[in-house]
Amino acid sequence: MRRWAHRTHLAGSLLFAVAACGRESRHAPSPGRISVVDDAGRTVAVAQPPTRIVSLSPAVTELLFALGAGDRLVGRTTWCDYPPAARRIPSVGDGLNPNIEAVAARHPDLVVLYRSALNETAAAQLARLGIAAVVVQQDRLEDIARAARLLGHLTGTDRAGASLAAALEQLVASSRMLPPPSPGRPRTRVAFVVWDNPPVVIGAGSYLDELAGLVGAANVFHDIAAASATVGLETIVSRDPDLLVLLRDSATAEPPGFLRRPEWRAVRAVRQARIVYLSGSLFARPGPRAAEAVAEFRRRLEEAMP
Amino acid sequence: MDRELILDVRAVSYRYPETARDALAGVSLVARAGEVHAVLGPNGSGKTTLLRVALGLARPATGSAAILGQPAAAWSRRDLARIVGVVPQREDHLFPQRVRETVLLGRYPYLSVWGAERPEDQAAVDRALARCDVSSLATRWIWTLSGGEYQRVRLARALAQEPKLLVLDEPTASLDVRHEMELFELVRALADQDGLAVVLITHHVNLAARFADRVLLLADGRTAGDGAPADVLTRETVERVFAWPVSIASFDGRPQMIPLRKQEEHS
Amino acid sequence: MRWLGLMVVVVLALALAVVLGPAHVSLADLTTSDIVRSLRLPRALLAFLVGGSLALAGAGLQALVRNPLADPSLLGLSGGAGLGAVLAIALHLNSPWALPLAAFAGALGAMALVYRLGLVGGAELDPRILILAGVAVGAFTAAVTTALVSLSDAAELRNAFLWLWGGLSGASWDSVLLLCVYAPLPVAVLLAAARPLDLLALGEEPARHLGADVEAVKRRVYLAASLLTAAAVAVSGVIGFVGLVVPHAMRLLWGHRHRPLLPAAFLGGGALLALSDTVARVAVAPRELPVGIVTALIGVPVFVLLLRRWTAS
Repeated sequence: MRRWAHRTHLAGSLLFAVAACGRESRHAPSPGRISVVDDAGRTVAVAQPPTRIVSLSPAVTELLFALGAGDRLVGRTTWCDYPPAARRIPSVGDGLNPNIEAVAARHPDLVVLYRSALNETAAAQLARLGIAAVVVQQDRLEDIARAARLLGHLTGTDRAGASLAAALEQLVASSRMLPPPSPGRPRTRVAFVVWDNPPVVIGAGSYLDELAGLVGAANVFHDIAAASATVGLETIVSRDPDLLVLLRDSATAEPPGFLRRPEWRAVRAVRQARIVYLSGSLFARPGPRAAEAVAEFRRRLEEAMP
Repeated sequence: MDRELILDVRAVSYRYPETARDALAGVSLVARAGEVHAVLGPNGSGKTTLLRVALGLARPATGSAAILGQPAAAWSRRDLARIVGVVPQREDHLFPQRVRETVLLGRYPYLSVWGAERPEDQAAVDRALARCDVSSLATRWIWTLSGGEYQRVRLARALAQEPKLLVLDEPTASLDVRHEMELFELVRALADQDGLAVVLITHHVNLAARFADRVLLLADGRTAGDGAPADVLTRETVERVFAWPVSIASFDGRPQMIPLRKQEEHS
Repeated sequence: MRWLGLMVVVVLALALAVVLGPAHVSLADLTTSDIVRSLRLPRALLAFLVGGSLALAGAGLQALVRNPLADPSLLGLSGGAGLGAVLAIALHLNSPWALPLAAFAGALGAMALVYRLGLVGGAELDPRILILAGVAVGAFTAAVTTALVSLSDAAELRNAFLWLWGGLSGASWDSVLLLCVYAPLPVAVLLAAARPLDLLALGEEPARHLGADVEAVKRRVYLAASLLTAAAVAVSGVIGFVGLVVPHAMRLLWGHRHRPLLPAAFLGGGALLALSDTVARVAVAPRELPVGIVTALIGVPVFVLLLRRWTAS
């Protein structure tokens, strides 16, 4: 009887000790050379620049390659398709609600996720496994600039990170120096249409809205705070955008079927066939190629609105 | 003068699918205008099966069933409902109804698909209600009626069909003496005064013997007796069919069955 | 008097649907406005037709399966329609009518499957089998649809769920015309079945004895109700509660006889959906709510109220 009690007492204290150790490692950063605070407010520290990085975001993959750290990537999401070299890296699945096992199987020493509620849980899970996990916001260009500095610091490529960030910040600043709209050159009014039934448009919370601002166009749905929202077709008609912007990845020349539906003919831009198609890969998310996106978008707008 | 032959079932046999025995074997039933023909027998003797075969709801393996000279299966349900009014054993009450509404359902075979109920339909309902002495209940909800009143209402619905043949399946199953007698008297009057043919399936041997002109006694799907009550309900027959010792007394010229207790058997 | 009141409600619902909207159209411009003529008017009419169809189908089904809690979505049709729509998107079918046609085909497929399941064991159109088979087919198609959508690469497929939630955004004069041509036959079949359905409420054998051709009635009602529901779902996604709640609400006013109940259900359902769609368009303008949410928000409290009255009586 006494021996049994002694054993359970021992087991109990062992469990307690292990648990205590685990908690400790999450709270106090172990003495390491590099420490950052990520966009979720978490302090993440690594002893030395990570050499096995899993990127769970296409923008981060692009960033890492742009920083010259692409060779350190050992895992990416299925959506990471740029640059072409990224496709040679094994995929670990989705970036949202990632497969922790698949990620851990790559034996990373750093995982980078983009910020969302589900991913913060995933980051905590990775941390419990002892894998450093960093969460970066990715809604607007300013976020990418910040991420460039953060990743630059982590990977020991601070100078590349700083210069990339500066270029992006310069791009954002330049939009404020665009010539103001004049009666001869009014702002082009656009609506980004994501889905047709029900009509889903892009609002102020999205990168696309920011992109419109950068090229001097106006998103007619800028008053909607969310990144995207369902609106009535009659709202699109009454706000009367000059042209519609549709995102598509497929290379088909055929315009989507809904443009031929009778109720969409009430939209002037549809009647006048003023539709601009943008590639999802370049335009759907902010990334280091933003300058390219801005230039391309500006060119396409001028083509559509002579 | 021979009374009009309404129902003519001859030597029918029927077996339910995937069963070992015939539910009916060689049973005949004839119903003439103005006659009350009772169908008796223990549980499972085939009474309800006979009803279904007679009305064309089940096809007999052998024999024939005809109504007004035409094979039962050849009648459309709508046409048959103008000739035969049935008061089944059980009914569902999915929705609450008033008495008049439920009796009006009996006029269905006379109504056109889109047309409304006509004055002659309302008149038929009035007559049926009066005949069954439930006119005063016309606006009552069904669920507020007593057992006896409810049965008379269902009978009124069958009468609203203005049938030549009335079929009642265990109409007095849960009624007390007074309501039972009232129903049987009503049925007898419908045969005598209105000239209806009546087929009455019942457990109540004694009342059947008192009120029926003819009795068909079934046992195990076979005819154990068919004729006047006094001829069919003899002690040997009844004891054999119901597997219980009885004594037969006579009342009002009709045989009455008295089941015996175990010790009385020897007296 | 009741009919007058109902007609007033219908006219009011349609008027509000035309006058109100996220885009400001003054009363003076009402007749000339393109928004009103091309978008609001057909949408109001479509809402009326779809809501009426769903309520009528629901009333017929409740009588057919002898269960007051039956709803057109119990038949598994909505699941089939959703699966058809998602397949159309996944296969990149680009025709403007691809989605409704695929949804309709899916709904019909589900209907045939449920019917076939009922035939197994010789229980053709047995109410209990119908409900069970309908629920099973609905659950199965919903599972396959969800799997397709969550596993797919195309972002478009995830937007398919928005369509499934129900909405009248696709309304145009074309779809109104289509429904006007298609719906009268199944509607007429259901209205004509009013008296036999009253008989059926007594039970199948009593109904037969009273002159109803029970098998034919059941088949016709099942087919007509399914066809109406399939068309409604194909045009506007899955809109719940209209088929369940409206027949009950109408029963409180008109009783259980189907001759007045069925037309009242059609009118009431049409008015309800037109009103719900107006709320969906206006409540959070410029954004729009899925109309299925509005009918649920209105329908659930109404249903609870009805249930309380029912259990109290």
